[in-house]
Amino acid sequence: MAKKKCVAMLLAGGKGSRLNSLTKDLAKPAVPFGGKYRIIDFPLSNCANSNIDTVGVLTQYQPLLLNSYIGIGSAWDLDRKDGGVTVLPPYAESSEVKWYTGTASAIYQNLNYLKQYQPEYVLILSGDHIYKMNYESMLEYHIEKRADVTISLIEVPWNEASRFGIMDTDEDLRIVDFEEKPDNPKNNLASMGIYIFSWNILKEYLEMDERNPDSSHDFGKDVIPMLLEENKKLFAYPFKGYWKDVGTVKSLWEANMDLLSEDCDLDLFDHDWRIYSVNPNQPPQYISSDAIVKESLINEGCTIEGEVDNSVLFQGVTVGKGTIIKESVIMPDAIIGSNCLIEKAIVQEDVKVPDGTVIRSFDDEIILVTNEMLSGLYPAF
Amino acid sequence: MKRKLLGVIDATTYHDDLEDLLTHRSLAALPFAGRYRIIDFVLSNMVNSGIRSVAIFPKMQYRSLMDHLGSGKNWDLNRKRDGLFFFPSPIVDFDGNKIGSFENFAANLDFFYRSTQEYAIISNCYTVFNMNFRPILDWHSRSGCDITEIHHKDGGSMEMYLIKTSLLIKLIETRNETGYTCMKDVVNDLQNLYSVCHYEYDGYAVMIDSIENYFSTSMNLLQSEVWQQLFPKDQPIFTKVKDEPPTKHVKGSEVKNSMIANGCVINGLVENSIISRGVKIGKGAVIKNCIIMQKCQIEENCYLDSVILDKDVKVEAGTHLSGTMQSPFVIRKGTKQGALMNS
Repeated sequence: MAKKKCVAMLLAGGKGSRLNSLTKDLAKPAVPFGGKYRIIDFPLSNCANSNIDTVGVLTQYQPLLLNSYIGIGSAWDLDRKDGGVTVLPPYAESSEVKWYTGTASAIYQNLNYLKQYQPEYVLILSGDHIYKMNYESMLEYHIEKRADVTISLIEVPWNEASRFGIMDTDEDLRIVDFEEKPDNPKNNLASMGIYIFSWNILKEYLEMDERNPDSSHDFGKDVIPMLLEENKKLFAYPFKGYWKDVGTVKSLWEANMDLLSEDCDLDLFDHDWRIYSVNPNQPPQYISSDAIVKESLINEGCTIEGEVDNSVLFQGVTVGKGTIIKESVIMPDAIIGSNCLIEKAIVQEDVKVPDGTVIRSFDDEIILVTNEMLSGLYPAF
Repeated sequence: MKRKLLGVIDATTYHDDLEDLLTHRSLAALPFAGRYRIIDFVLSNMVNSGIRSVAIFPKMQYRSLMDHLGSGKNWDLNRKRDGLFFFPSPIVDFDGNKIGSFENFAANLDFFYRSTQEYAIISNCYTVFNMNFRPILDWHSRSGCDITEIHHKDGGSMEMYLIKTSLLIKLIETRNETGYTCMKDVVNDLQNLYSVCHYEYDGYAVMIDSIENYFSTSMNLLQSEVWQQLFPKDQPIFTKVKDEPPTKHVKGSEVKNSMIANGCVINGLVENSIISRGVKIGKGAVIKNCIIMQKCQIEENCYLDSVILDKDVKVEAGTHLSGTMQSPFVIRKGTKQGALMNS
């Protein structure tokens, strides 16, 4: 195998339980976003655009759709003779089946995958976030700082800080303290879950962590604190720009709505940093004479005969006559009948909404429309 | 075992009436329906009919066609065995408007010798249709005819021929003795030795041979019965995919009865139009009865009625351009239109 300077490991096994039934049958990284994409398109496209051509994708929870979506990686130009995308599921050894119990153990169990490329650096990513980032610049920073580990960080609102790994740095941006999901955060600089490790350090500490019976085998909870304790050089890499953890139905909805605002920091139209995805090959969208479309993002394969206002429509969605869709996200191939009203909702993939259905939220909650939910509304349906 | 078909697409045709749209491309690569090239229809039909080996015979200006087809991956034709074959003509001066020129085929006769498919379908490259060839093959082999010519119920020949590959080879080999130069010569010769049958097709099909019919066929796409016949979900038309984001309808925009591909940003008003991938339409612009091809930029407060903008055209702010439905105004690829130039 050719030697690779930097290999990326993308943790894509998460369940995303706060996304409720959206992740019943698929892993969080496979959740649809932005009218066309799945969450994992963002880290994979970032890799492709950052000249990282070797990516291991670690899957565990509901991997079927994710595996077939990734395929051989051609959508992201990652179908390579050397390297490219490799899906890495948990596997059985002669003695036992080893599930990925934590982020660190998942990487540990794939050290053999990494060893074959003799990398100098390993980039660890998660498949849970929407953002555009140049990993190559982060790697240059890591090399320049002669760091053992570089962690990218972003300023988050104070009231959300306890959801993240919170970092404390000195003036030189060297990390002096790191707390995973603290109850009383000391500051609001959050880890984005993106790490660059120098290979020797990663190998050494993952092996050490694996031997520790008290460890939960998690980077944030176990490996990073251990490195800090041993006075290793951990540096923070400040990131500015759009970054969103779409861990809940509400935040997924918000991230979709962000795309509609005129000053959105996440530019999907930037040809110099394209977000690639598996293209479904559908005819152009058709907007009928009766349709009204206001401030919306609409993908190919849609047929619109009603009103679509401030909404995001994925491929193959049908909107019937007299229907009003407001501030909603309609996922692929959903069929919305005529004379419906849907407001502040996420309609799941392949859902059929019968004519005349009214779905609206009277508080700030976002309603998740699924076939199960509709069969509750329409027992005979 | 299923009888196997070889696909042969004659992409040498040139129509003078389409000159304005063909200066940079061959007819096969003419953009259509916002994201397709005309050849996508016949090629996808072949693939959807189970054809796994397709030979394309282009003539001039085939750079854009090759760029479009690539390895054939988008049609699932990048195969280890069979797949997509490209045979640019080594002959410069044969008559490109004869579908299935034997002289042209003869230059690549080895390909036909090597093909294992028992039957071949020879087709033109410029028909907009969605047809499964499989039932026609069944019909052909049951009928016992030597050659089946596909006809349209509303008109004449669709310039598509079904024939045994061995007979096709024989016709090519004996072209000098028989005087037949192409498939059309054979089927039109009443004295010929072969039985020729007509298969009548009653679905939607239009052969694009002039600006006028290119324009009217495009406008027909806005009728749902035409649309549904051309783009059924179980027989998709494949094309080269592009990584464009979904189209953004910006505040203040209005779209009526139009087809819009991905990657567009719409600020103005669009009515009865076909908008291709990556088109930007400025605030206050009005686009009516137009075909706007890929990556055109129409700035603020323009007024366009019955216009075809070829790829990469930039229309500067405040420009007014109008044609008529019978004779649309065509702007050539890559040009810039200013407000003063056409006032």
